[in-house]
Amino acid sequence: MLIMKNINKIFQTADIQTHALRDFCLQVNEGDFVSVTGPSGSGKTTFLNIAGLLETFSNGEFLLDGEDVGKLNDNGRSRMRNEKIGFIFQGFNLIPDLNLYDNVDVPLRYRGFNAKERKFRIEQNLERVGLASRMKHLPSQLSGGQQQRVAIARALATDPRFLLADEPTGNLDSEMAQSVMSLLEDINQQGTTIIMVTHDAQLAQRAKRTIQVKDGKVSELENISRQHNQAIA
Amino acid sequence: MLETGLILRALARNKIGALLIALQIALTMTIMVNAIFMIQDRQQQMQRKSGLDEKNSFYLTNTVFGQDYNIQAHLQTDLHTIRNTPGVVDAIQINAIPLSSSGWSMALQHEPGEDKDAVGTAIYMVDDHAINSMGLTLVAGANFQPEDVELRKEGQSTWPAKTIITQAFAENLYPDNWQSAVGKTVYISQTQPIQIIGIVAALQAPWNGWNGVERSMLVPFQRESKGSYYFIRTEAGRRDELMPIIEKTLAESDKKRIIRRVTTIEDTRERSYRQHNATNKILTTVVITLTLITGFGIVGLAIFSINRRTKQIGTRRALGATKGQIMRYFMMENFIISTFGIIIGCFGAVALNMWLVNTFNLSPISFQLVAFGVITLFIVGQLAVLYPARKAAMIAPATATRTI
Repeated sequence: MLIMKNINKIFQTADIQTHALRDFCLQVNEGDFVSVTGPSGSGKTTFLNIAGLLETFSNGEFLLDGEDVGKLNDNGRSRMRNEKIGFIFQGFNLIPDLNLYDNVDVPLRYRGFNAKERKFRIEQNLERVGLASRMKHLPSQLSGGQQQRVAIARALATDPRFLLADEPTGNLDSEMAQSVMSLLEDINQQGTTIIMVTHDAQLAQRAKRTIQVKDGKVSELENISRQHNQAIA
Repeated sequence: MLETGLILRALARNKIGALLIALQIALTMTIMVNAIFMIQDRQQQMQRKSGLDEKNSFYLTNTVFGQDYNIQAHLQTDLHTIRNTPGVVDAIQINAIPLSSSGWSMALQHEPGEDKDAVGTAIYMVDDHAINSMGLTLVAGANFQPEDVELRKEGQSTWPAKTIITQAFAENLYPDNWQSAVGKTVYISQTQPIQIIGIVAALQAPWNGWNGVERSMLVPFQRESKGSYYFIRTEAGRRDELMPIIEKTLAESDKKRIIRRVTTIEDTRERSYRQHNATNKILTTVVITLTLITGFGIVGLAIFSINRRTKQIGTRRALGATKGQIMRYFMMENFIISTFGIIIGCFGAVALNMWLVNTFNLSPISFQLVAFGVITLFIVGQLAVLYPARKAAMIAPATATRTI
């Protein structure tokens, strides 16, 4: 479970204070699929960075899986990112010099798994995203959609509790975007909690919950499940 | 957990920069090890003992210009005067000064004859006070007696009947038992017999670069020459005080000659090895500069590659890498590049050394020196990459989500 209570994030430059998040409150339950929308500069990326422990916050309370994130040091945050969070980035962020196998291997090595365990997880997850046959390929030899699938395999390889996706379909054409989205839905159905930041209202609607961030606050909270949407349609 | 495999595979796809740095390390290693080797070789040469009591000795030149000058009589007067000056241990007339780079040489052979093997040696013409005046150590046989000393006329080609040689020379003539040299008769000027009556521990020739610099012989000659050296040894610590006194005494005692070039043996040694010292300084500068350039090259390459991989580093942090793991990645990457360069450098160093050994007759490089080069370059590499690696570790994980 992810709980944020009155989270504030203030960026301080020499003479300007910017409130990126203001008394931000959110609870994400086990198995949720939350999409986060909002205009540019609304604070969604800041929210995602804080939720993913990529950035610290100025004040407030943030509990991730019951652990008080505010009390963790840099190494503690690294460990928690590695153990509990999987990231999917808009630009895929694969390491261009490493093949798919080695790319998926990166977070597993940080975890300290032995070679056998790593091999099993890499193959299992590349299989899961349908790219097991191409594990010796370099990212540059794949299409955008395939690269994002590799990134998903990398994110899943550590068995994270949360999958944080930052515009995961932002760089993909609509066909590939649909296929990546379907994959995320499958993953969610298998029990992984997903938080996805997106501009795309249509894709956002496919999540179980949609929240909107505006001026650093959760301005609207829709507790409508996709199944419910579909039923209405 | 070390990422050696991943680093190797990533390096393999980005060879050029790493390869260039590895080659630079190899070249630095090659030159560094051999330069240090040459420096050490020169230092060893400079540390060789001349055999003289260097601290307490000096010499001067006596040049006669007067007509109808009784050289022999004046020589005895001069030596008597100097030897009786308080503070002087002893003095001699000599034809050449060790390490001064100008002197006389002859060759000795076991058998008389023109085409027999002969061993070259420096030759010092002295009297029976030589061992005491120069501070030599007689290790076998005996010193000359006053009656052994002959007067040598200008241009004379015959030699005295006795000689004292250095131990190194005796070892050369009698490799099996150098002490057996005492009493042996050898031949000088191809046919003239000369008996070895004594052996001194050491006395260097005038030429420091000669490979036979340790081979010298003393012959009991006093030269009837218009130009000669007086070699003077003083009591400990009194050399500087006595130099001007003796110069003045001699100059004033006789106006038909000039006393010049009053010089200490320490100065002579310094002058003799000035080029060695200068070369060593230049080589040291080259080694330090080269090592610094390599260090800067490593810093440059690492900073460049880190700037190029900012997002990748952010992503690694997002995927759970600690700051320490990011630092270790770059330290390890440098270690791999260094290892590659150092291995090539080891071969390069040995190859260059073999060439030097063959071309300049130097001794082969020691294993310790190669090991020193290896360790130094690993340390330089790791120190050079420390700052860039710290910089990389400071890259924020949030860089991963920035869309630039």
